[in-house]
Amino acid sequence: MRGTLWIVLGLFPLVDGHPTLKTNQNSLETADAALNHQSGSLNSVLHLDDTEKAALEPTRVDPAFPMKELNTSHYPATRAARVAQHYLNYHHGSPSKWFMVHDIKKASSEDIPEVGTKYHVQFSVQEQATKEIVGNCTAEILFRQTEEQSAPEVNCTCDDLLKIETSDADHALYHHIKHQPEPMTGMDIPDSQGNIPKEMEPFWYLGGIGASFIMWQQSNESTLYNMVHVHSVKQLNSENDLLAFDYVVLLHDMVSQEIIHWHMQVAWNPTQGVKVTQCHLLPKGTMKQPSAEKHKI
Amino acid sequence: MYSRDQVLRIAAKDVEQITLLKDLEELEHLELDFWKGPTHPDFPTDVHVPFASLQAVKVFLESNNIQYSIMIEDLQSMVEEEKIQISRSRSTEQMRNTNSFDYASYHTLDEIYSWMDMLVSEQSNLVSKIHIGSTFENHPIYVLKFSTGGTKRPAIWIDTGIHSREWVTQASGIWMAKKLATDYGKDAIITSILNEMDIFIEIVTNPDGFYFTHTQNRMWRKTRSTNSGSSCVGVDPNRNWDVGFGGAGASSNPCSETYRGSHANSESEVKSIVDFVKSHGNFKAFISIHSYSQMLLYPYGYTKTPVADQQELHNLAKKATDALSTLYGTSYRYGNIIDTIYQSSGCTIDWTYNQGIKYSYTFELRDTGRYGFILPANQIIPTAQETWLAVKTIMEHTYNNPY
Repeated sequence: MRGTLWIVLGLFPLVDGHPTLKTNQNSLETADAALNHQSGSLNSVLHLDDTEKAALEPTRVDPAFPMKELNTSHYPATRAARVAQHYLNYHHGSPSKWFMVHDIKKASSEDIPEVGTKYHVQFSVQEQATKEIVGNCTAEILFRQTEEQSAPEVNCTCDDLLKIETSDADHALYHHIKHQPEPMTGMDIPDSQGNIPKEMEPFWYLGGIGASFIMWQQSNESTLYNMVHVHSVKQLNSENDLLAFDYVVLLHDMVSQEIIHWHMQVAWNPTQGVKVTQCHLLPKGTMKQPSAEKHKI
Repeated sequence: MYSRDQVLRIAAKDVEQITLLKDLEELEHLELDFWKGPTHPDFPTDVHVPFASLQAVKVFLESNNIQYSIMIEDLQSMVEEEKIQISRSRSTEQMRNTNSFDYASYHTLDEIYSWMDMLVSEQSNLVSKIHIGSTFENHPIYVLKFSTGGTKRPAIWIDTGIHSREWVTQASGIWMAKKLATDYGKDAIITSILNEMDIFIEIVTNPDGFYFTHTQNRMWRKTRSTNSGSSCVGVDPNRNWDVGFGGAGASSNPCSETYRGSHANSESEVKSIVDFVKSHGNFKAFISIHSYSQMLLYPYGYTKTPVADQQELHNLAKKATDALSTLYGTSYRYGNIIDTIYQSSGCTIDWTYNQGIKYSYTFELRDTGRYGFILPANQIIPTAQETWLAVKTIMEHTYNNPY
């Protein structure tokens, strides 16, 4: 089966009514709809005017909006590709599957007057658990010019994405967690020395996938996000067949060099994938920073 | 022997719980082995619990509402793992010499300073330690000098750890210093270079920050100087140099991670290097090492105007990163700072280049974001090894192209 997936448009929930997750006034889809895309259906509840539709259509060369070839070593291409990575992870990642951009092959951008800047990037990704490289991803990333932060809109296809088969691992993990007598907890992943206990790895991945949602939402042309630490994770009770976890994660923005703390709740099962059900930014100084190791003397 | 023993990670939430854990520590019949003793609610307590005592300990924790998780579910299966040997041996053994030092592990400020003294005493014909200044909190700032003689020979500078949270850099600095000391007389290039040039390595360029990352906040980047009129501490030492100071690419807000400081060279950590370099007057290459992102950068960061030597620096960067990748396939981007990463004013290698030190480079070591600053210790040596190939390339070019 040819593993090509069309994933159209960014989708995100309004969360806690919290202003830090401001949404584009035109897009009010929920994370549920985002997950529907994984199974191939293309829902769109966006109502766009003609300019906006034009901005989101696959690229046509239009002399009125010249395309600028970008140096693949320079930061504009790096930042755009990172957004596509976050998007890809949120829609395809799992506790057994986490992608990072491997190599940017080609990049260009076009300024769309009164709309924003649209980037076109071709890149490969490496899946972190299997180390497999998925060669051919193409993404269009639109950064709208808005006064407040709005999530970039992403249109992304990857050949051979589905060849990375982790559903056995995901199902095994799901059942393992479901059958534990006590809800799991963890903190400081990794610890100061970079160690991660084997049984914590899936929860580190899951945190990374959940954080990808936040990082995608918070990205713009002046950011470059990574998750650098899981401060804490705690399994929550859930009545349905979704597992639920409460996380505090630390994100690093390379451009400002700031470390920011986000509190999020993440739901997961192997068939529905990962969903961030709640998240909010923690003010600087609220959480004690990741603790250093005391050496045993 | 350790079958079904477990290692628990305990998260005490307040001082009362710490006291309870200390009581637990006193119960000798449980035969508990604390890898990390109970000290403070901010730090986890790790304890090896023999199988026979497991139930009692867990009941104790649960009935007192003390949160814990099972870090190692069956210690026997871990016994062969290197991790245990390293974490136990380095906490119980004395550091005997630089050959038995554990390079595959992250060390404290004290351990690094002791190691430096050992290296100097083992190879006093080649290595000496210079005190170039003191930090805000009055830690001494040391530079190792590698020299076979002469007076103010043309010199190469390497610094690591200017941003304290970038732990793989200080760790790599230690490894590279040892490598340099070992390879003199054995490696043809290193021997030629050291026969005519001096090499200076500053391993802990931000000692106050480094100490803070060990004791309070693993993610601390800046110095630890206080800022008048603000409760926020610290200046970004890589925005404090006297080049483009005050311009775009640094913050004027003391609470920012890229705060430039009240004036250029306000930080003693930076001023010490400035004074040293100026009074030496004969540096030919300057390499400042950071993490993470896997990049090799040359000036400028503060302006888009290319440096006069752009072509040569670009070509050398390609050569160096090609050399780096031969070892483990690690791929690096390279280019000038302002186009490759972002605009930054007041940064180290812009200043050194403007002083006439042509071969001015900044490294950003592993990785590209999977672990970021908290790179696993088992990647220290591979990172240092591959970086050394790039550093050697730059040093060799400097040696072959005197100016």
